[in-house]
Amino acid sequence: MDVSMLTVALLACPLVFSLIMAALPKTTSYNVFAGLNTISVAATLVLSVVTAGTMLSSGQNIDALGLWLHLDSLSSIFVLLVGIIGFITGVYSISYIKIDIEEKTMPAERTKQYYALFSLFVFTMLLVCLSNNIILTWAAVEATTLSTVFLVGIYKNKQALEASWKYAMVCTAGVAFGLFGTLLIYANAADIMPNAHEAAFLTSIMPYADQFDPMLVRLAFAFIVIGFGTKAGLFPMHTWLPDAHSQAPSPVSALLSGVLLKCAMLVIIRFYSLSIITVGDTYPRTLLLILGTLSILVAALCIFKQDDIKRRFAYSSVDNVGVVALCLGIGGPLGIAACLLHCIFHGFTKALAFCMAGNIQHIYHTRDLNKIKGVVEIAPVTAALTIIALLALAAFPPFALFISEFLTFVAGVQSGPIWVVVLVAIGLTGVYFALTGIALKSIFGKAPEGMKRHEVPALMIIPEIALAIVVMWFGIATPVAITSGVEDATSVVLNQSVEELHEAPLYRMVFSSQTKTSEVN
Amino acid sequence: MSIESSLSLFAMVAIAVPMLGSLLIVMLPRPYAKWICAFVGGIATVASVGLAATFAGNGMNAVDVTWASMGQTLVMGFIFDRMSTLLAPAFVAIGLLVVIYSFPYMSDKNKEHPDAPRRRFYVYFSTFIGAMAGLAYSSTIVGQLVFFEITGVCSWGLISYYMTPTAKKAGMKALIITHIGALGLYIGAAFLFAGTGTFALSAISQLDSGMKTVVLLLILFAAWAKSAQFPLYMWLPSAMEAPTPVSAYLHGASMVKVGVCVFARALASAGDIPEIVGWVAIIDAVVTMLFGFLMYLPQKDMKRLLAFSTIAQLAYVFFGLGLSVFGSQMAFNGAVEHIFNHAFTKTLFFLIAGSLSFTLGTRMLPKIQGLMKKYPVTGVGFAVAATAIAGVPPMSTFFSKFQIISGGFAVGATNTVIFVLVCVMVVETVATFAWFLRWMGKVLPGEPSETVAAGQPLPRAMAFVFVVLMIMVVVAGPLSSSWMG
Repeated sequence: MDVSMLTVALLACPLVFSLIMAALPKTTSYNVFAGLNTISVAATLVLSVVTAGTMLSSGQNIDALGLWLHLDSLSSIFVLLVGIIGFITGVYSISYIKIDIEEKTMPAERTKQYYALFSLFVFTMLLVCLSNNIILTWAAVEATTLSTVFLVGIYKNKQALEASWKYAMVCTAGVAFGLFGTLLIYANAADIMPNAHEAAFLTSIMPYADQFDPMLVRLAFAFIVIGFGTKAGLFPMHTWLPDAHSQAPSPVSALLSGVLLKCAMLVIIRFYSLSIITVGDTYPRTLLLILGTLSILVAALCIFKQDDIKRRFAYSSVDNVGVVALCLGIGGPLGIAACLLHCIFHGFTKALAFCMAGNIQHIYHTRDLNKIKGVVEIAPVTAALTIIALLALAAFPPFALFISEFLTFVAGVQSGPIWVVVLVAIGLTGVYFALTGIALKSIFGKAPEGMKRHEVPALMIIPEIALAIVVMWFGIATPVAITSGVEDATSVVLNQSVEELHEAPLYRMVFSSQTKTSEVN
Repeated sequence: MSIESSLSLFAMVAIAVPMLGSLLIVMLPRPYAKWICAFVGGIATVASVGLAATFAGNGMNAVDVTWASMGQTLVMGFIFDRMSTLLAPAFVAIGLLVVIYSFPYMSDKNKEHPDAPRRRFYVYFSTFIGAMAGLAYSSTIVGQLVFFEITGVCSWGLISYYMTPTAKKAGMKALIITHIGALGLYIGAAFLFAGTGTFALSAISQLDSGMKTVVLLLILFAAWAKSAQFPLYMWLPSAMEAPTPVSAYLHGASMVKVGVCVFARALASAGDIPEIVGWVAIIDAVVTMLFGFLMYLPQKDMKRLLAFSTIAQLAYVFFGLGLSVFGSQMAFNGAVEHIFNHAFTKTLFFLIAGSLSFTLGTRMLPKIQGLMKKYPVTGVGFAVAATAIAGVPPMSTFFSKFQIISGGFAVGATNTVIFVLVCVMVVETVATFAWFLRWMGKVLPGEPSETVAAGQPLPRAMAFVFVVLMIMVVVAGPLSSSWMG
C-alpha cells in the first residue's frame, strides 16, 4: 500500500474504533471495550511507526488527501510520541479502569464513554500533528479539548466536574485567541499568494513567508502563543492544568501531560518557524523566553504547596513545558534540538510518573501525600518504579531528561542571556526539591497500621517497566534514530537544509549520525 | 590487547559491575543483598587495583581514552594518570571494607540502631562505589557531572536511611546543597563548550584567561558544595544522621572526596591558571580550616567532632590545590596524596565511632573511658586514627601534610600573604593535634567506665576491617608519595 494511504489509515484507525465503540450498547461487557481499544491503540502504534519510520528513514515528506495531511520529520516525532505513549497508556488502562469499576469509583456504564473517548482522543492528537491546514489544526486542538473534557470529568464527583468545567472554559477561550492568530495568517496569506485557495495550507504558505506583513505576523504570533500556549499550559494560562491533570484517570493524565501538551507546543513551533522568516528571530524568541522562564519559576514556587501527588506532577508539567518554550526562546540549532529532545523525553518520563501515581492511588485510595506512607513496604515494585520516575523527572543522570536539560543549559550559555540560565537553574532546583521530597515523604516511611501488602496487577506494572526502561535507555544511549530524527526536525523548524547545518561546526559536534561517528572512529 | 583497551576494560568493570549489582540486589530477595554487594565491591576492587598495576607496569604514562563521543565532541572519556589510578582503588576498596563492616553493623545486634538490613542500603552503596570509580576516571566535565549527581542521589538515600524526620531533612539538605553546587558544573560545562566546542577537561587550557577563570571558579563552587567547604558546609554535620558505616564512606572515600577530586582534575588540566583562582581557593580554605577547628571545641558526640575534622582536613586539600596555582607542584602532589591518606584515616576513625555505637550504644565521648582495657583493637585503632588525623609521623597524613606545608613555604618565600596563611595553617594543625591528644588521654587509658564495662564484644568482621585500615593508615603515606613521584 502507498505510504500516503497508510497515513490516512493511521488517522482513520483510532477514529473508526472510536465510532465502533460508540455504536455498541452501554451494557456490552468490559472486555469487549477494553479489547477494542487495545486493538485500536496497537494498530495506531504499528501504523505510526511504519509511516513515521518510512518518512524519517527516506527523508521524503508524505502528503495525503491532497494537501490536507502532511508528515515531515517534525511531525513524525510527535506522531511517534502519540503512537507509542498512546499504546502504553491504552494497555495500562485495561486494569486501571477495571479496578475503578470493581471498586465502584466509576459505574460500569461509563466504560463505553471512557474507551470511545480514549480512541477519539488519540485520533484528535494525531490530527493536530498531521494536519497541514492551519484552520483544521485549530479545529483539531479544539477537538482534543472536547474529547478529553468528558474523560477528565469521568468520575463525576465535585472536584472532577469542576476541573473539567474549568478545563473546557479556559481552553476554549484560550484557543479562540489561537483561531484569531491563525485567521490573521490566513487572511494575509490569501492576499499575497497567487493561488488564494491554498492560503490555509502551511506547506503552501511557507515559501511566501518572507512577503508577509511583519506587523500582522507579530500580532498573529502573539495571539497564537497565548492561544495554543493555554493548551500547552504556559504561565499565566496554566490555571486549568493542575486541576484537569489531577482529576483525570491516571492513564488519561499520562496522555494529557506526556503528549497533548507537546502537540500544542508543536502548533506553536510551526508558527514560530513561520515568524522567524517574516520578522526575524528576535521577536518570537523573546516572547517565548519570557513565558518559558516565568512558567518555570511559577511552577517552582507553586509545586511545594501541593499535597496531591498528581497536582505535583501537574506543576512539574508546567515547569517542563516552560523548559520547552525556553529552548525555543534560546533558539539556534542547539536550542531547537534541546526543545525537541525535551518534548520526547518528557513525554515518556511524565507518562511513567502519572502511571505510578495511578498505582499509588489504587493502592492507597487517596492522592494525598500526607496519607500515603511507606509504599516501599506495601508495594515494593511500585515503590522502586516510582523512585525511578521521580529521579528521572528531576532530571538526574542517567535518565533521559538529564540530557535535554543539560543541552538546554549549554544552548542557553551559548546564545541566551546568562541571567536567564541562572534563574532557570534555580527554578529547576526548586522543582527537583519538591519531586525528590515525595520519595522521602511518601514512598519510604512507616506504612499505615493494618495495611496489607498489596501490589497492582501485572498488566499495570508491565507498561510501566517498559517506560522505565525507555527512560533509562534514552538517557544512557540515545538511539541514533532519535538524534538524527531530531536533527532533521531542527532543520525543518529553522528552514535550513540539513546539509547546510552539517557545515555549521557547532551542529555537527552535538549530534552524530552513523556516518559522522564512523568518521571519528 | 592494547594498553588503552585493557585499562578501559578494567575501568568499565570497576564502574559497571557495582551498578549492575545494584539492579540485581533490587530484583533478588533480601538475604542475598549484602553478599551481592560485597561480591561486586570485590570485583570492582580487583579491577581498580588491576588497572593500577597495569598502569604501573606500563611505565606510568598517562593515557586518555575516548569512551563516548557525539560527532567530534568528546562526551565521556577516561583518563588514566597517576592521580586517577591512585585515588580510584582507594575509593573502591574502602567501599568494599565498609560493606564488610556493615554486615554486623546493620543488624538487630546493634545497640544504638537495631535494624533489619534493607536492600536499599546495599543498592545505594553499590551504586555509590561504581560512581566513585567513574568519577575518578572521568576525563570530561560531563562525565564528572553525571557521576557527581549520582553520588548525590546515593548519599541522599543513605543519609535518610533511618527515615526519622531529622534524617529525612538531613538527606534533603545534602541533596539540595550539593545539587546547587552541581549547577556550577552544569554552567561551567556550558561555558567550556561555548569556548572550545568540547567537554574534555583538557580543553580548559585552551580557554582565554577570563573564561578560564570563570570555568575554574564554577568548578571550585561545585567542589566546595560537595566537599563541605565554607559557606556550603551545612549539610555535612547534619549528615551525621546516617548509619555510621555510611558516614565513614561519605567522609572517608566518597561524597566529600568528589569535590576535591573534581577540582584537582580541573587544575591539572588547566595549564596556566590565573592567580585569582588560587587566591579564592586558599583564602576559603583557611577560613574553613579555622571555622572547622573552632567547631571542634563544643563537640561531645564523636561523630560530630569527626564531621568538623573532615571539613578542616579537606580545607588542607583545597589549600594545597590552591597553592599549586602559584606554581608549587609539591603542594599539588601533597594535596592529592592527602585525599588518599585521609581516606583511610577518616574511614578508620568513623568505623571506630560506629563500633562504639554498636558495642556500647553511645558515641558520647565523656561517657567513654578505659577503652584500651576492654577493647584493645578498638583502642589501638582509636589511637592510630587520632594521631593520624593530627598528622603525627609515621602516620600517612604526616607525609602529605608536610608536602602541602613545605610547598606553601616555597611559594611563601616570595609572597608575604601566602607565608602568613601557611603559618595560620601550621598553627591550626598544632591546635588540632592538641585537641585530639586531649580526647585520646580521656578515652583510652584507665579503668573502663560503666558504659564501657557493659559493652558487648566486638564482632570479628569489624576487627578485621580495623586491622586492614590500620595497616593502610601507616602504609598509605610512602605508597602515595612514591606513586605521585
